[in-house]
Amino acid sequence: MDVLSGWWDDYFWGAVVVGQVFICSLGLMIIFGLFGAMAKLSNNRVAQKIAGAYTVIFRGTPEILVILLLYFGSAITLTAIAQIFSPEIKFVDVPPFWAGTIAISIIVGSYATETFRGAFLGVNPGSIEAARALGMSDLQTFIYVRIPEMWRLALPPFGNHMLSLIKDTALISIIGLNETMFVAKQAITVTGKPFTMYIVVGAIYLGFSTIITLAVMGIEKFGERTTVGAK
Amino acid sequence: MSTSDAQPLIQMQGVNKFFGSFQALKNINLEVRKGERIVVCGPSGSGKSTMIRCINRLEDHNDGHIIIDGKELTDQVKDINAVRREVGMVFQSFNLFPHMTIVKNLMLAQQLVRKIPKAEARETAMHYLKRVKIPEQAEKYPIALSGGQQQRVAIARALCMKPEIMLFDEPTSALDPEMINEVLEVMVDLAKEGMTMICVTHEMGFARSVADRIIFMDEGEIVEEAAPAQFFDNPKSERTKKFLSQILSH
Repeated sequence: MDVLSGWWDDYFWGAVVVGQVFICSLGLMIIFGLFGAMAKLSNNRVAQKIAGAYTVIFRGTPEILVILLLYFGSAITLTAIAQIFSPEIKFVDVPPFWAGTIAISIIVGSYATETFRGAFLGVNPGSIEAARALGMSDLQTFIYVRIPEMWRLALPPFGNHMLSLIKDTALISIIGLNETMFVAKQAITVTGKPFTMYIVVGAIYLGFSTIITLAVMGIEKFGERTTVGAK
Repeated sequence: MSTSDAQPLIQMQGVNKFFGSFQALKNINLEVRKGERIVVCGPSGSGKSTMIRCINRLEDHNDGHIIIDGKELTDQVKDINAVRREVGMVFQSFNLFPHMTIVKNLMLAQQLVRKIPKAEARETAMHYLKRVKIPEQAEKYPIALSGGQQQRVAIARALCMKPEIMLFDEPTSALDPEMINEVLEVMVDLAKEGMTMICVTHEMGFARSVADRIIFMDEGEIVEEAAPAQFFDNPKSERTKKFLSQILSH
């Protein structure tokens, strides 16, 4: 274990970055998924088409490719825009944290779109009718009836999306984000011990995914309080 | 029929409704005055449910006019929610919100639609739960209640909105036989208090004792409209006779 001494700090801060990326991308992923699902379920043909293209493209291309394209694509685009205003600018640097976070949110959001769509379709139409009959507006019905019933149905597959998300954070090292994979690569060039260094990364990710799994189990239990027992 | 000068609470004039090319309602004309109790019956697929669902616009009609308490139902969303506030609806399958306790089920629309403060909404909820005789279930979730109890909660939930009119869409059809009476009792109480009611039901005992008028529908049309005594003992139309012989024969 001597070989690891001196690297614990870096691993720790790498893990903190993983956690930060996860939290930010989780929020964004839910937003992308909800908008995607609502667009697919709307009566608007254009919205349906856009959401359809979204899920086809991002579920059908390798994740690492999306990260690279989004990182370099946004850098090139921002550079071009910046040069319109001040031609002396050579290159706009996009922060890898945000490029990577947004990329994996978009990718996993495309899977969540289908999950949420299915869950919305699973909401008892009778509940929605009852809300309408009571005079509730569409927005009130959405917030107080459809969403609370929907998330309970979405939770089991949504747990899988959260695991995908945490694992996808490892890919962001490729655009230079100093998370745990990035730390491991650096440590390997110095120490020449790839197995040891990667095993540490594995342990860190297992820790994260265990926490997520336990959290999902807890939330499921909370959601089920309305459907079991009591009688 | 009576020729009171008072404006009818519900007016349906020449209402047609299509589902695709299928005509579910054919030239429906109906007037219901305040305090009247109407029972609608007829074979399945005859348009009974569709007709009462048009009254609070859960279905929109294709032609004709539906006027509720002087307000015509059109595409204007604002008016619809104002009308729905006046019209309570009870469904065959109860349709309680499964993720909320009973008392929250009763409070939600009061708070959101009628903007009633929480404490007052709870008080009203408990008042109506007592009226349907299940205040002790207030903190349970719907799944823990029997069908008859859930339907009574659904009636209480509609009453919390202080509606002018109550619509019942086969409220006892999904219930086990021993639970039908507890729901009918609540409906009879409501009728005694003068609530304007339209009930789609096959409970002919209820119809006979409570209804002012019985409407028989078949294939999207109102075939017969009569007071219970006349309806049961001396129906005019052959279709009504046939229907009555089928449901009363056993």
